[in-house]
Amino acid sequence: MKPPPFTYCDPESVDEAVGLKSEYGADSLVLAGGQSLLPLLNMRLVRPEALIDINKIGDLQKIEGRSDILEVGAGVRQYELEDHALVGELVPLLPEAAGYIGHIETRHRGTVCGSLAHADPAAELPCTAVTLDATVVARSPSGTRTIEAQHFFQGRMATALEPEEVLVAVRYPVTPQAAGHGFVEVARRVGDLALAGAAAVVNLDENGHFTSVSVGVSGISDTPVRARAVENALIGEAPTEENITRAADEIVPSVTAGDDIHATRAYRRHLATVVVRRAITAAVASAHERSDGK
Amino acid sequence: MTYTYIGKDRRRIEDPRLLVGRGGYIADLRLPGMLHAAILRSPVPHAWIRSIDATEALKLPGVVAVFTGEDCKEKINPCMSFGPATITQYPMAVDKVRYVGEAVAAVVAESRYLAEDGVDLLEVDYEELPPVTDPMAAMEPDCVLLHEEHGSNIGYERTFEFGDVNAAFAGADLIVEDTLRWGRSAGMPMETTGAVAQPGFNGVLEIYCNSLNFSYFVFLIAATLRIPSNKLTLKPVPAGGSFGSKLAAHKVPALAGFLALQVGRPVSYIEDRIDHLMNSDHHGCDRTYEARMGFRADGTIVGLDIDVVDDYGAYMQFGVGHHGNAFSQVVGPYRFRDVKYRLRAVVTNKCQQGAYRGFGSEVHNWVLERLVDQGATRLGLAPEEIRRRNFIQPDQFPYKIPGGNLYDSGDYPAVLDKALSMIDLDSWRAEKKRLREEEGRHIGIGLATTQERSVFSATEFWFLVEKPAFPLTSSPESATVTIDPTGQFQLLLHCQSMWGNSPETVGATVLAEEFGIPPESVNVRYADSAHALPGTGPGGSRYTAMVAGAIRGASRKLQKKLLHIAAHRLELAPEDLELVDARVQVRGAPETGLTIAELAGTAYFFALSLPEGMTSGLEESYTYDHPYTTPPAPDGSDLGVFYPIMGHACHIAVLEVDPDTGMPSFLDYVAVHDAGTIVNPRSLGGHVTGGATQGIGTTLYEELAYDEDGQFQSLTFRDYLIPTASEAPVFRIGHVQTPSPFTEYGIKGGGEGGRMVAPAAVSAAIDDALREYGMRVRRLPVKPATIVATVQAGRAAEG
Repeated sequence: MKPPPFTYCDPESVDEAVGLKSEYGADSLVLAGGQSLLPLLNMRLVRPEALIDINKIGDLQKIEGRSDILEVGAGVRQYELEDHALVGELVPLLPEAAGYIGHIETRHRGTVCGSLAHADPAAELPCTAVTLDATVVARSPSGTRTIEAQHFFQGRMATALEPEEVLVAVRYPVTPQAAGHGFVEVARRVGDLALAGAAAVVNLDENGHFTSVSVGVSGISDTPVRARAVENALIGEAPTEENITRAADEIVPSVTAGDDIHATRAYRRHLATVVVRRAITAAVASAHERSDGK
Repeated sequence: MTYTYIGKDRRRIEDPRLLVGRGGYIADLRLPGMLHAAILRSPVPHAWIRSIDATEALKLPGVVAVFTGEDCKEKINPCMSFGPATITQYPMAVDKVRYVGEAVAAVVAESRYLAEDGVDLLEVDYEELPPVTDPMAAMEPDCVLLHEEHGSNIGYERTFEFGDVNAAFAGADLIVEDTLRWGRSAGMPMETTGAVAQPGFNGVLEIYCNSLNFSYFVFLIAATLRIPSNKLTLKPVPAGGSFGSKLAAHKVPALAGFLALQVGRPVSYIEDRIDHLMNSDHHGCDRTYEARMGFRADGTIVGLDIDVVDDYGAYMQFGVGHHGNAFSQVVGPYRFRDVKYRLRAVVTNKCQQGAYRGFGSEVHNWVLERLVDQGATRLGLAPEEIRRRNFIQPDQFPYKIPGGNLYDSGDYPAVLDKALSMIDLDSWRAEKKRLREEEGRHIGIGLATTQERSVFSATEFWFLVEKPAFPLTSSPESATVTIDPTGQFQLLLHCQSMWGNSPETVGATVLAEEFGIPPESVNVRYADSAHALPGTGPGGSRYTAMVAGAIRGASRKLQKKLLHIAAHRLELAPEDLELVDARVQVRGAPETGLTIAELAGTAYFFALSLPEGMTSGLEESYTYDHPYTTPPAPDGSDLGVFYPIMGHACHIAVLEVDPDTGMPSFLDYVAVHDAGTIVNPRSLGGHVTGGATQGIGTTLYEELAYDEDGQFQSLTFRDYLIPTASEAPVFRIGHVQTPSPFTEYGIKGGGEGGRMVAPAAVSAAIDDALREYGMRVRRLPVKPATIVATVQAGRAAEG
């Protein structure tokens, strides 16, 4: 459980990091919090020629809020989603989901963007990114590009990042004040990756009917899944238990994960409907709370 | 009997150094010139090794040497084994690999990093054989063999019958039966097994190892290494809590010793976590039962009929000792007399079994309690009631059970009553009903008991074998007590006993009791194998009872010497003196006396003031033999008394199951144990907490899984799920103390009972929560998918 040899680089600026990434390309990996990468290295499941450690780059350590965007830099640790007041104010789903990531100790090392780049389909942050229509910001020598979350995740631990690109930030649209959110996850133990999890953000009109529904689901496929069929089944509907339950069943065709030692496919299909139903129900309750609080 | 120190809550002497990481990890040990070894683990479950090419590895700068199973076969003997002589193993695979993870070659290099780089460069040509993963298929006559020399994949087969089960069942009103499946789990120590070997002074090979019991097994390791046993010294390194997984871990020190002898330099071989998960030699039991139990209409149990197939994995280092442990408490706490037990031990392409808290008796108890619960349900009896009706009664001890073992003492109704007094079952049962009706929630209550056998005798190493090669009968423990010239106490322990029990706290407490000194003033040390007196070591919950006997024996010798010195100095008869609070004083005139420090000064420095014939110094050793063991009958009809110091426990679990997710969560948990006289309730409570949590792990979470192709599925702690504080309930612990009539102070063992009863209590609680859907836990671990499938099927059946 010792890593194979690699060249260690610790650039102090984004430009320097991008230069190194472009130089080593696919033979390099970016080290941020290391919570997933170091075990992979120690088990020799990845064998990069170079490891580009971005922890010294001060520019990446920022959380910035603008009127419509919350931007989280690639050096920001997961616990800051829980601790930083701006995050809860602008995108309240994030602190709630962050509490499910590993344990408090790992959240103090693991980074938000690192989790996105690792792209584990059972992880919390990729799921919230597709739910929230986040965009990932990537830098390469030829410039900066943004990638929508739903296109960013391309497979199990596979993303749309090009070999010469460095993921520098993620941008979350600010959640409307009246919107409600919910996050539900079923894992075998506290802190484990999800057997299935769901994030939901909803808006209700003055009659209490859904005007928008956004649902993401983790653990059921090779990527986090945006549950469009579920969403479509609810737009314009009243948030009754019956409606939500019926809509939640629409997730079933998206469950492609097979059997593993923790869950069968049949169980995951069922569980996906449960977490989707519960997340939407929680989001509706949260929306009601917000409108009551006004 | 009341004691001054024994029985009082005491913080463990061991804890401060452990809590700050200074407990002495083997991985922190550095010897001058030390090299590091890494092993190549087999990626295939079953194959002939056609060739191993180390050319590229040997070219890597920093790689010193590469060794394979062929080198082992040429230069050393097979590993120690209590299994069939035709099932042999070496520290590295010879000719054939038999499970994924088995060591194929070792690379010795200047660092562990370089050693692993070297492993990457090894090229092995395997000729793959069909994997044998299903123990039932393994028994078929046309199945490919793991061990050609053995001629069968059945390592052991025998049927034991004590009494007449058919006759007993003929008189039964109800016979319940079940197929029950206990999956593999294992103890997971903080640090894996490791050894550092160095060729030392006078040609003695010194091996530092964090395993256990080596004063008992040193001769066998020496035999493996083909060196005289006086040229091998095993040096104790703390094992910490391994719960069995470092017990007699012989392959790791044998491998390190072999490598050090080959390269003539110190070599460190320390398992990494993957090694320990897949190649520890200590996977727990893996059994399938067809089991039946007969009852009379009033709930009286009349007999037990078991047919068990145990999937031992690729080797059988401890023979079928796991089942000897089951025989030690084969009827549990119940009075029935008729037992049939068919055992087939099967070899498959998996890691071999070793020790895990309970060592086989925990599985038997789960089966017993599953059947009792099924009987209770069918007969309409509450779980506490059916048990109460069947308990061996307090006036029946000592009680000889079918099969031959003896239960020394016990008060099972008192333990049950104590547990029931700590929880209001009536109110929980009402609440369960209310929550189901009003909120649709599913609460379950499970109650289970266990016997907790402790203090094994060595006869159980061989008594299941028809022609044992070495039918030993000794399993002693030793202690050396020294009072130094200033009156300070040293305690020397002899069996490399530093693991998760509390040898220092126990030793210091007993010495304090014997001499009236503060426990914290005692210094405890551990002998290496070259200095060790006879000792068997921890295991089978024996150490506290045994070492207390040894310390008391040594103390009595020292006390006598102190009294004689004092008598001589005071010109009185020894009979007129007594030892009170670290001082020898005159009976009836306590103002006249001498402190231990004063007497120690005399003993060491004033030989002319000693009684005639007495020699200088104050040091005594004592070897305490097993307090009660009898030989087995040669024909297996009676196994003899081999595990007579019998504890008992009752657990009551209350949990809620979410029927939509299958996730259980605990609402309450009461655990009452009777471990005889308790030395330290606080640390016994720790054993109960840890053991019960491991029982919950085996029941709900932990699984060393192999797929049908023999690939290992539980490679990391992402997949091998150990329950944490978040999953465990807050255990409310109670104690009952029924002293053993056979041990010093009446101490019984208490290290394993938590894991032996929790699976039965938790299984029963899950059944109870989901009884309306026909839930019956029959396979461990019981996973959320199984629970949900049962609920869905039950709901479908309801229409």
